Amino acid sequence: MEKISGRVAALILAIALALSGCGDAAGTEIKNINVITDNSTPKELYEKALKEDTLVVYTVSTRVVDTKEAFEKAYPGLFVEVRDLRSPNLIEEVEKGDGSGTPVCDVVLCNDNSGEFKSRLVDTGIVVPFLPEDIGIHMEADTANGMVSFLNEAEILFYSAKEYSECPIENIWELTEEKYKDRVYMPNPLRSFSTYAFCASSLDHSAQFEDAYEAYAGEKLKLNGTENAAEYFWKKVSENIIFTNSSDEVTEALNDGKADFGWCVSSKLRLAGVGYSLAPVYKLTPFSGCRTSYAVMMTNGCKNENSAKLFIRFLLGEKDGQGAGLKPFCTAGTWSVRGDVPDGNDVPLSDIDLITPNQQKLIDDKEKSVAFWTDILKGN
Amino acid sequence: MRKRKQIPALTGIISILCLFVLCLNGCTPKESREKLSVAIPESAHVQDPENNYYIKWIEEKTGFDLDITIIRQSSGTGFLDALFSSDADIDIVMFGEDFTITQDELSDYVSSGDIYVNGDRIYYENTGSSKGDGVGQILWINYNWLKALSLSIPENTDDLKAVLTAFKEADPNGNGIKDEIPMTGSYEEYSLSPVEFILNSFIYNDPYHSRFGLNENSNDLYAATDEFRAGIEYCHELYEEGLLDDSIWDGNLKLLTEVCNSDRDIVGAFTTSSISDVIYQGNPEILARYIHVPPAEGPDGERNSLYIQKAPEIGAIITERSNKKEQAEKLLSLMLTPEASLIARYGEEGVDWTYSDGSDVSVYGGVSTITTINYIWNTSQNKHLNGIGPMNVPEEYLEGVTWNGVNSDFEYINGRAYMGYEDYLPKVNVFHPYDDKLSEYMDTALEEFIRGKKDIGSDKEWKRYLEGLQH
Repeated sequence: MEKISGRVAALILAIALALSGCGDAAGTEIKNINVITDNSTPKELYEKALKEDTLVVYTVSTRVVDTKEAFEKAYPGLFVEVRDLRSPNLIEEVEKGDGSGTPVCDVVLCNDNSGEFKSRLVDTGIVVPFLPEDIGIHMEADTANGMVSFLNEAEILFYSAKEYSECPIENIWELTEEKYKDRVYMPNPLRSFSTYAFCASSLDHSAQFEDAYEAYAGEKLKLNGTENAAEYFWKKVSENIIFTNSSDEVTEALNDGKADFGWCVSSKLRLAGVGYSLAPVYKLTPFSGCRTSYAVMMTNGCKNENSAKLFIRFLLGEKDGQGAGLKPFCTAGTWSVRGDVPDGNDVPLSDIDLITPNQQKLIDDKEKSVAFWTDILKGN
Repeated sequence: MRKRKQIPALTGIISILCLFVLCLNGCTPKESREKLSVAIPESAHVQDPENNYYIKWIEEKTGFDLDITIIRQSSGTGFLDALFSSDADIDIVMFGEDFTITQDELSDYVSSGDIYVNGDRIYYENTGSSKGDGVGQILWINYNWLKALSLSIPENTDDLKAVLTAFKEADPNGNGIKDEIPMTGSYEEYSLSPVEFILNSFIYNDPYHSRFGLNENSNDLYAATDEFRAGIEYCHELYEEGLLDDSIWDGNLKLLTEVCNSDRDIVGAFTTSSISDVIYQGNPEILARYIHVPPAEGPDGERNSLYIQKAPEIGAIITERSNKKEQAEKLLSLMLTPEASLIARYGEEGVDWTYSDGSDVSVYGGVSTITTINYIWNTSQNKHLNGIGPMNVPEEYLEGVTWNGVNSDFEYINGRAYMGYEDYLPKVNVFHPYDDKLSEYMDTALEEFIRGKKDIGSDKEWKRYLEGLQH
């Protein structure tokens, strides 16, 4: 078994740090680990993996259960245990495992948008990227930038297709109207990374909110003591919002007809395939949501390294992108990061009104953003 | 110089005296502390009861030492029979997890004088494991099968029949064998019978209150209505077409659990009051297989959700043979206080949970009152007894607890399902009492009509059934 031993990891870190000279201004050490590119064939990895224990995968997406089942079929004798957690809890568990000296899992699939995943697990070297060259050449240029982002999604507004045959709004400020009181659902931004990424990033778009307001109301926005139009918007619209624990609750409220609108991860659009009455809002002034992505990483010092590598290869769709492991993720509401694999969604990401979060800014502004959203939630 | 030599000697003597006194001080209270002998069932979720945080807290609060005997059997009556036929010196027996006893079973020991009764109190209750009254039955459907066959979740009884038919005919588990069970259940609980769920699409059907009406209609027997008959006819059709499994009447919960958790993926739909009634703990793959479906709308627009009043479970009893009854009562009464119950349910305050600042959403969708830091319920831990013993967690905390973030957590899965059912619950505050004999008659008649032993289409048979209701 080829373990990433402490010494090897330290060597990688030392080389990486020496080469990059990384370290942030505040003095927090940022460990810039090179992407691991073990070019062993799947067959070679499989032979080694057969001598290992059950592979443990921590994930924020239940879709990986389908990948697990396909993986166990493709590689008889290998077993995968999946633990499905919300992003903040996943990070906590993985951090705790690292602190105890025994990683709790071998592979981690996490939403990497809020900056938490990057600052707490990636920059600290608790998780490391593995990307085989034969797959990496097909992926977006920034995919291997410290993380292996394997799927693009969005945090986007949906409307209830049960209540409306087409989206009844064109401007985000319409959501502040009295008729939508308790009819807008949203996951708690302090508990959902993708929601946080959207909510916190939106605060950097004050001017767009002001312009959108003028287009909506026909007059300039009076901020009433608030400097940021985005903050003003969220304070106002939160009076209409029911906060939930997760995107699942949002989709269920849309389907049950309890909600007219709801923000949730775009991949939930796949539920429309089993009859959920929800439809995405692709066009909205100034924007409908933000871009998000998912990363797959190995834990540093993981117990089942070869199984982990084989599983990640499988999840990424193998060399030709046709592997069964990626299929569960090629659904409506997702966009491929591989040039040789088509998007799961009919409408391309570039045609949707979305903002792109600046992850470093999210990390830097975290304290302020959390305080703002804590106040909103307490007042809700 | 002499002084200097004398000081250590004196210090030594004083030290020895101090040690002696300290030893006496340390030993005396320990020896004089009351000892209570407590039997606690073995649990995979409690690492070491002797050194359990909650047990230590109780000992500190009461000043008693608990001498713990671990019960290694799952039959409550089996253990009590053995206990009371021996001369074992046990003051308190605690129940919980798989080691349970019903009130009926307990009454036999009350009659035989083996259990201590003080006024009305026969046992110390446990009301702490989940939210109280509310949704009593949820329909769970195989999500993978819906996806495989490109089907939508059923919204009404027509959809339901179409989906179950597809489950039966179209090999949704893809193994090339017709081994699919479209809809199954068990006779052990009303909540496990999909028939009860389906009838609620025709008229409010409350088997827990002998199928009477609600509030001002609480003396109207809904099981005697044409709507109820239409519901039975629909169930009979499903049964005739092989869409309802015989296990609904012949199968026990164990069998239902086995088929629903089977790796063969053979079950299309089933009903429970909690997903944990049937699906094994810690099995995210199986849990991901099933999703809840809101109540189905019937042909006349009827759509109801079964209401259940959750009775407290038996948490502990005091044996009549105990010569420390007063101390036992003090201990068990302490366990029923909110302070103790919050430890018993959520662990150590400040470490495992805190009171919420209100910025979180509870697992049931409301404002949080308890924020869990370490979610230790149903995990291997040593902070509490995982629901064993008496507890009385105030409803505001049971309803206000935050989600632990684990998608396969039962409380979260149930909580989401309840939100989809709550709008269809009856607005009720008057129930007809449960009538044992009448319910048994109706349960038998339902089975006979649905399985075709009697003809639900025959007015004569229906009349005979109605006449039977009068007796």
